[in-house]
Amino acid sequence: MAPPAKAITSPVPDAWYPTLAVFMLAIGLVLTASFFIYEATSSKRNRSLAKELTTGGGFGSLFLLLSAGVYV
Amino acid sequence: MESFRFCFLMLTIAILASPALSDLVLSKVDRRIYLTSHIVRISSTMKVENAGSEKESKVLLAFPEQQAKNMAYLIATPHEGKGKGKNPVVALPVEAANPKDMPAALTLYSVSLPKGLAEGDSFTFDVLAVFTHALRPIPEQITQADIQLVLYQDSAHYLSPYAVKVQSLSVKLPDSRIESYTKLENTKIHGSEIKYGPYENIPSFSYSPIAVHFESNLPFAVAHELVREIEISHWGNVQVTEHYKLIHGGAQSKGEFSRLDFQARPNVRGASAFRYLVANLPPRAHSVYYRDEIGNISTSHLRGDSKKTELLIEPRYPMFGGWRTAFTIGYGLPLQDFLFESDGKRFLNITFSSPMVELVIDALIVKVVLPEGSSDISVAAPFPVEQWQETKISHLDIDGRPVVVLKKTNVVPEHNQFFQVYYHFSQLSMLREPLMLISGFFFFFVACIVYMHADISISKSSASYLAKQQWEEVQAVIQQVQNIISRCLTTHDNLEASLRDLSRTGNIQACKAARKAADGLLKELSKELKPLLTFLQSSPSAAQVLPKVEELVAKERELQEKVMVKHSTVVDGYEKKLGARDIENRVALQQQKLTALRQEVDDLLEFIDEI
Repeated sequence: MAPPAKAITSPVPDAWYPTLAVFMLAIGLVLTASFFIYEATSSKRNRSLAKELTTGGGFGSLFLLLSAGVYV
Repeated sequence: MESFRFCFLMLTIAILASPALSDLVLSKVDRRIYLTSHIVRISSTMKVENAGSEKESKVLLAFPEQQAKNMAYLIATPHEGKGKGKNPVVALPVEAANPKDMPAALTLYSVSLPKGLAEGDSFTFDVLAVFTHALRPIPEQITQADIQLVLYQDSAHYLSPYAVKVQSLSVKLPDSRIESYTKLENTKIHGSEIKYGPYENIPSFSYSPIAVHFESNLPFAVAHELVREIEISHWGNVQVTEHYKLIHGGAQSKGEFSRLDFQARPNVRGASAFRYLVANLPPRAHSVYYRDEIGNISTSHLRGDSKKTELLIEPRYPMFGGWRTAFTIGYGLPLQDFLFESDGKRFLNITFSSPMVELVIDALIVKVVLPEGSSDISVAAPFPVEQWQETKISHLDIDGRPVVVLKKTNVVPEHNQFFQVYYHFSQLSMLREPLMLISGFFFFFVACIVYMHADISISKSSASYLAKQQWEEVQAVIQQVQNIISRCLTTHDNLEASLRDLSRTGNIQACKAARKAADGLLKELSKELKPLLTFLQSSPSAAQVLPKVEELVAKERELQEKVMVKHSTVVDGYEKKLGARDIENRVALQQQKLTALRQEVDDLLEFIDEI
């Protein structure tokens, strides 16, 4: 092989997985909670909050799965 | 017996057929047959000389057909000499050969010499041939108390299409009983090594059969089928799962098995059985598990150092001849040790065969599962394998992951070399997985919104439905009123803050400006409040709440006035340059009323909230 082979690693360092999982899940849960509270109390419905929470919840659950050993 | 017939055939061939071969002569052949394992290894050092005039570039190696059927691995390397060279040994290319005038019962391979052999030149090279199932257990069935005897048959003279000048053979046996061995001329036995030779000036195609019958208690571990699955995750892990179907390939066990005898005197009752297997996993292997269909098997030991991770596993029962067992071993490996990138393509560099020590595999299937989104897949293996592609659906997959399947039969530990799988993968495809999770959550929330929006009542004109509608409208209006009132209250707070600023900095103009702004804001807010109040007054279902709301509005107005009065008093005081204590005295009474009113307004807000 003419060019030296470069080792490939994950884009996010492995050691950060549990910490990232906790933080992102916390953010996601807080946003989810506020979303449901807003839904339950207001009579005019909202839309924009939904987008914010999805990113928090999505990344949080991904890192949760990875830190648990389910390498998806 | 077969060997007699074969020997006769060989002699006939030697006498009748003298093929006009190249004029190569093997001047020295040293053969060592290692029977110290159930895998038979024959290592030969050969010195080939060109006695003719033409330049030769290929040397033929011959094996009797029966032996060649069992051959798993063949490699030829240039001879190292006494001092081990520092250069890595490059194997000489070996390929199957089919020259025309060769006897049919021979299988031939031709070794290409690196530089051609000119007249008079000689070249020394090593040949290693590995055979499986070459030891025949005789007797074929033994009881638990019998010892296991195996028979090995070969030829004392090296079977070759060329004449051999000087040759010798040494057979290395395990340190146990030797039942019998063929005694030819020049046969010596030293402990557990039998030496045949040296023999001189043997013609080509000479075959002199020998048979060694000896005791072998080494573990005859044969994996009838092994499926090795290597799953790559770009998030940092290579997961290897190996499914074994193991057989003890020695003499079949007959009669009863007495566990008591076996445990009391294992070396007498059950010497041929094996209890454990050792596997050398790569270093930094983690999450190693060992289980079978029933569940986890706890009899295992794991020890790791920087070069390898050694796993010692004990099957659920000792393996006697003919017994089978099936289990699964799995472990995870760090991605950076095995996945590399070069020339825009990524490639996986990993060992092909099982990490187990001295295991014969009858059928080996290696499945490499690449992440979804990989394309342009190709395999580079150091020996020929059968390959095809499949798909596997795994976590968070839409279409499935591409799987490269490699199959090889008759695999020995020498096949445990590195092979590469090349593929193309764009870094953006890694976002696919988090995006799937995100979209999952998103759809869930959208579903909630839709559910809240959806009006599933059957009758749209019933009294209760209409009443509910109206109540919801009233609620909306009340919420807006609350909103406005809280904005008024914040304006009051701003005014208070400006007063505190005044006491700190003494900037009267700023205070007056704040007052003006607050005035304007409050006027606007009261304008907004008006239509809401009229609506509430007109709607019938707001009848209960209306008095409270009106009380709230009235109280808020009072509060507003009082705050304004206090503010002007304080500003006046500063303008006239009165002392701070004076100002405080003037506003003291007003302040008390203010706080009381504020408290009432807050209480009312809370009360309305709870309706």
